Amino acid sequence: MDYTIVKRIRGAAMALVLSASVALGSAGTTSAGTDIAGKKVIFIPIAMGISLTEGWARRMKEDAALHGYTLEIRDPAFSSSAMAELLAKAISEKPDVLVVHNPTVQLLARQIKQAEAAGIKVLQLNLQSNQPSSAFVGANWTRIGHDVAEDIVKECGAGSGKSGKVAIIPGQLTAADSVMLNDAAFKVFKDHPEIQVVSNQASDWEPEKARQITATVLQQNPDLCAIFGHWDVHTMGAGHAVKDAGLEDKVLVYATGGGDNVTCKAVEDKILDRVWSYDADGQGRDAATMIDLLLQGASAKDGSMLSVDSPMKIIKAGPTYDASLCWKM
Amino acid sequence: MTATALSKMVGSREGGILERVVLAVTFGLVVLFAVFIDGFATTGNLRVVLSNSASLVMLSCGMAVVIISRGLDLSLIAQMVAGATIFSVMVSGGSPASVALLVAIVAMALVGFVNAFLIAYVGISAMLATLASAMFVTGVFRFAILRGEFILLLPKSNPAVMFLAGNILPGVTVPVALMIVTLIATALLLKVSTAGSVIYAMGDNYQAARLTGLPVRRATVIVYVFASITALLAGLVTSAASGAVDFRTVSSGTLLFDVILVVVLGGIPLRGGRGGIRNILIGAALIAVLRNGMTLMNFTTQTQDALRGLVLILAIVIDNYLNPRDTETDTVGDL
Repeated sequence: MDYTIVKRIRGAAMALVLSASVALGSAGTTSAGTDIAGKKVIFIPIAMGISLTEGWARRMKEDAALHGYTLEIRDPAFSSSAMAELLAKAISEKPDVLVVHNPTVQLLARQIKQAEAAGIKVLQLNLQSNQPSSAFVGANWTRIGHDVAEDIVKECGAGSGKSGKVAIIPGQLTAADSVMLNDAAFKVFKDHPEIQVVSNQASDWEPEKARQITATVLQQNPDLCAIFGHWDVHTMGAGHAVKDAGLEDKVLVYATGGGDNVTCKAVEDKILDRVWSYDADGQGRDAATMIDLLLQGASAKDGSMLSVDSPMKIIKAGPTYDASLCWKM
Repeated sequence: MTATALSKMVGSREGGILERVVLAVTFGLVVLFAVFIDGFATTGNLRVVLSNSASLVMLSCGMAVVIISRGLDLSLIAQMVAGATIFSVMVSGGSPASVALLVAIVAMALVGFVNAFLIAYVGISAMLATLASAMFVTGVFRFAILRGEFILLLPKSNPAVMFLAGNILPGVTVPVALMIVTLIATALLLKVSTAGSVIYAMGDNYQAARLTGLPVRRATVIVYVFASITALLAGLVTSAASGAVDFRTVSSGTLLFDVILVVVLGGIPLRGGRGGIRNILIGAALIAVLRNGMTLMNFTTQTQDALRGLVLILAIVIDNYLNPRDTETDTVGDL
């Protein structure tokens, strides 16, 4: 499958412009620097200290400094209970925009609804809740799941001469990305009975758990054709198991991720083979632009969610490998 | 059938019954899995089981020594990750592996010493002291050394990483070799050294050991420093194998749960005073076989957690049934 990155970027840019025009309507020209100065934005990620969220935060901070609004980051450090508490506190402070990074589709749904009802615009970043809100910026997980599965079918399916065996390593079975990636992938695999999913076990986002699962699965299925890990960081553990078993030239390791330079290094080291990158650095800029729009009063006319799909970059090992597809903090 | 009758049937002294039950269950599971799970009864899978259990066994050695002395170390996983962080940061920065290892050993020994000092000299309970030190170590290492990062990714091409994840002899990986070394060191500490006798005495009756003039404070220092070093070794092999030092291992808590599970299932009572490496091996065997079998059967992580929890509850219930509390065990108090 071939992607035209330029088309994707253009698509995202158009989505933003469209969003702006839909939302601002008759408001005419705006001067972001003066209109939104002094407003308050609170960002609650799943955790800081990972390249994904640090990359987003860097771009949002730059934008806040440029336009004069305040950006406060509250770090729950991977604790779901702390996240719910921080969100409750943030809602009570009535910021102009709340940026949330949902760990599961359900966890923050009630609070997102509560925030919107209180007049706070909620921007959901990369991982979507069941509860719609003012805006979403992030990867189109359904498309990624579908495209990775299509690629797996091409590499491991009928006519490939391979076993068709695939292991899937989600982060958490209830995480938004894992739910959508698995749904989309299994829809594709359903039409290809030669593809056999021999393992579908979550790693809790931990590389060591992914490594242990993979080492065990490889023993049972030494003819495994592909591994589809839902996040590049934990999938690197799986890639290490493949390499330790000496199967790096036989088993294709697929992952998705934010695409920082560590991902490219893993591809160079033959730990990962193909990574669908949603370019966290670009997402940070898109999120910052969406915050600007929300602070200026942007909203969809029909009340639906403004949405920006992140353009994809596909980082592949082999002759077409391009290290410039990765970004550096 | 009464508890006494069952005790007679298995022919064991008090305290050895649980380990026999666990051993029987493990054997039963091995037979069951070998018959019904394709790929379970292979030498390749045995190697995977050993390799995947190496760090768990090392951590369990440290925890077992602590628990036998009537202590508890909740900072073990934090120390494991912190030790691996020191080593990885130094090695990635170009320091020789031997220097990095030495610095990591000294730093972790210091953490173990502080734990022991808080428990033996300040008089804080082991649970609270090690819980506090776990938080402190995690916080300091994440923010001062990793500058807020949760995960430190290691390049597979680094020679130290390659060594720790590779083979030391044909068919024997470095993690498995380190696991054997740790088991031997634990056996020597508990069964051969003078400190070992003091550790058992402390577990049997701490007050009596102290009043008879045994060096309980010095023994506490040895216990917690030993546990720290086992945690460091476990951290080194885990980070080299997975290519990552991951502080979420501390916050998720499942590894600490597994370590305590191994010790308790193996038959080492939480009130201390009994047990040895045989118990660690029995407990680890059950967890390793269960984990391997459930992974091969494609059970979800949540189902695996639930089943392990169920096994722990069953083990405690069986232990309480076969070893009912008497006046002595009730009055000395558990953790």
